[in-house]
Amino acid sequence: MNDLINDLYQEIILDHGREPRNFGECEPHNKSADGHNPLCGDNLKLTFLLNDQNIIEDIKFTGEGCAISLASASLMTEKLKGKKIEVAEEIFKDFTNLVSGSDEDLKVLNEEDSLYALKGVGGFPMRVKCATMAWHAFNQALKD
Amino acid sequence: MDDSKTLNLNVRKDFPILSKKILEKKDLIYFDTAASAQKPNTVIDETNDFYKNHYSNVSRGVHTLSVESTFRYEDARKKVQKFLNARSENEIIFTKSATEGINLVAQTFYEKFMQKGDEVILSLIEHHSNLIPWFFLRDKYGVVLKFANIQPSGEIDIDHFNSLFTNKTKIVSLTHLSNVFGTELNEKAIGICKDKNVPILLDGCQSAAHLKIDVQKLGCDFFVFSGHKTYGPAGIGVLYGAENLLSEMPPYQGGGGMIGDVSLEGASYAELPAKYEAGTPPLVEAHGLGIAIDYMNKIGLDNIIEHENEITKYAFNKLNEIDFIEIHGGDNKRNSIISFNIKNVHSHEVSSFLDVEGIAIRAGHHCCQPLMKHLGVNSTARLSFGVYNSLEEVDKFVIALHRCKEFFNK
Repeated sequence: MNDLINDLYQEIILDHGREPRNFGECEPHNKSADGHNPLCGDNLKLTFLLNDQNIIEDIKFTGEGCAISLASASLMTEKLKGKKIEVAEEIFKDFTNLVSGSDEDLKVLNEEDSLYALKGVGGFPMRVKCATMAWHAFNQALKD
Repeated sequence: MDDSKTLNLNVRKDFPILSKKILEKKDLIYFDTAASAQKPNTVIDETNDFYKNHYSNVSRGVHTLSVESTFRYEDARKKVQKFLNARSENEIIFTKSATEGINLVAQTFYEKFMQKGDEVILSLIEHHSNLIPWFFLRDKYGVVLKFANIQPSGEIDIDHFNSLFTNKTKIVSLTHLSNVFGTELNEKAIGICKDKNVPILLDGCQSAAHLKIDVQKLGCDFFVFSGHKTYGPAGIGVLYGAENLLSEMPPYQGGGGMIGDVSLEGASYAELPAKYEAGTPPLVEAHGLGIAIDYMNKIGLDNIIEHENEITKYAFNKLNEIDFIEIHGGDNKRNSIISFNIKNVHSHEVSSFLDVEGIAIRAGHHCCQPLMKHLGVNSTARLSFGVYNSLEEVDKFVIALHRCKEFFNK
């Protein structure tokens, strides 16, 4: 099997793509945003609860999409749950650098992180949008 | 594969890009002609030659280069006229794209012939480019849009289509060949428009290089297609319009080249076709399109159609035998296009997997989101064929599909 394909579709990606974690709507929630990829029609809705200490208490998503976009959203929710917003923002920056093949040094993510499995997306430039859809929705929700 | 069925036009060598290796080692199998066709050497060389040896602006000067450029630009128009069998060169308008052609008709036809509350009939299988220009009329001017249903086969439901007409129906706009199903428009739809005396626009983006087009025989009032899907350059489109309508409709854009006489108080407009060609046109691209038409004529459109039908049928039968494949549309005849899904595998995965095998297919909603919603899918994978494809490529593709299914359902 081709290395590029094995890098793109690591076991953890296929697993989260097939069975996304934290799939559903967060109730109650005080932040939400829709993610949409107009090029392919994939979409998701992200909801989360930010408490008064600026900690993401719970975070969930619903939507439809490819294995990459679903796995990315699923892994994102796992990673961000319980994080302070400042840390979450650092993770967001690191993640977008990771999948877009940027040379910038990662600050909070490392090879041990499950999110690192999405690094292979960098070999498929047209799929970067799949991997970042949920993250841009998260970033949007913070701004709103 | 049964060798007796092998039909090869042996034109692969005409397309330099097809000798490119994908990821440095895989032979390219290009199954995405419906998105954009590859270009033969003649088109590439002739457009280069235009820039190197003949280039100037058209219809504006009297010097040698201006004459050479104008000759090539107008010669391309003659070639398109013959290609579509239009009555006159006045009926051939060069645009930047088929999309621009539809926008041109929507805006100027409205201006001359329509008012608030008038109706336009479209269908569920239209490409966004044959929806949004009409949405503009609905949003800006209160035009009413009606959409013909489709049957499970992917064809327009003719009875439903017929029932949509009222005395307020002013124009109909339909795809001539569906970019999702590859099915040709039932000619009854055009007949109904004729009977009711309502002009019809055909979106010919997918039909122009894959069916023989005769606008007079078809009986359409407008026909649009794009250069890049017919082996020509991007940036050039064609609008055919019946002269009686084009001459009554107002100009689309204002600028140089479309005027008769200008004073500070006002202007008169040029005759057809210049009236609709404001600004310096995509002249080199128009020439390139003319060369692409020459190329198709040299092989013979009948041969191209037979070749593509053979491949399409072969691929359809192969896919139909595979239990994990779901083909969209019915068993009816298709021209050069097949949409499908691998059960439980998103089309993006299929496309990325095939990409590293050197196989280029389209995945997504194909600019037909209302249709995708109707089909109950988020996206489909699409195979589309051109003059350069072969049955052997289909065989390789089918083997790769099996491996793809195994990989994602392991």
